[in-house]
Amino acid sequence: METGRQGTTLFTAICLLIALLLIIQLWLISAALDAAMSAQARVAVPASVASLVLFAFNVSLLWYVLDFDRRRRRVDPDA
Amino acid sequence: MSKPLNDGPVAAKAVEPAETPHWKRDFPIRWEEDHYVTRRELAKFLTLGSGTIAAATVGVALLGDRLRPSGPMPPLRIDGAEGLARGASLLFRYPSEEDPCILVRLENDRLAAYSQVCTHLSCAVVHRPGSRELDCPCHEGHFDCIDGRPNSGPPTRRLPRILLNETLNGTYAVGVEV
Ligand code: FES
Repeated sequence: METGRQGTTLFTAICLLIALLLIIQLWLISAALDAAMSAQARVAVPASVASLVLFAFNVSLLWYVLDFDRRRRRVDPDA
Repeated sequence: MSKPLNDGPVAAKAVEPAETPHWKRDFPIRWEEDHYVTRRELAKFLTLGSGTIAAATVGVALLGDRLRPSGPMPPLRIDGAEGLARGASLLFRYPSEEDPCILVRLENDRLAAYSQVCTHLSCAVVHRPGSRELDCPCHEGHFDCIDGRPNSGPPTRRLPRILLNETLNGTYAVGVEV
């Protein structure tokens, strides 16, 4: 059974993970910007692909969070 | 006898709404519930930020591709290049009037030309007569005159090189190598 306390712990961990991936994405965008300025497409394109992959992973984590929330509400409609 | 303050479970049930309204779910009173809601919302916002950054990265890659000069560039005669003394420099604009460039005659009598726009934050680089470096006065950036690579200071990328064609009729700028 999903409880609020479990959710808080789980969401905190997921938020940390998403934030970590977000920092990697920030690093990727700065690398892409630098590459674009110096006309090195071989860096900018893989950087954007990697950023999209990280975003997709973040979406899957968020989906898990929302699914947990839905399940919890099913158990306790007042939550 | 006075009336009791609490009428018991029957009265309490009459006051409580049948189901917690939606707005109340997102603004809970208990701390534990509040933590739950704020973490959930934070996950949403972080993912939104992640999407924005991913889109911006793709935009940067596409824009960088578009901004890159492509195709052959028209040749431009650089007046005064032939008479340039060793260790001296002159300014010209190529490929458009908005692109300042600098031509230097090196100690070995070869000519080298670069964009004058510093690769750090776009200040104009200058050349001191006799110097082997192009200097950026803004943040003390220094570039090598021979290949345009940064020697010291904040710049990390080399200066775009202007391709030259030296003929009997004069010296021509014929392209840009980023
Ligand atoms: S703009 Fe040239 S060193 Fe900063």
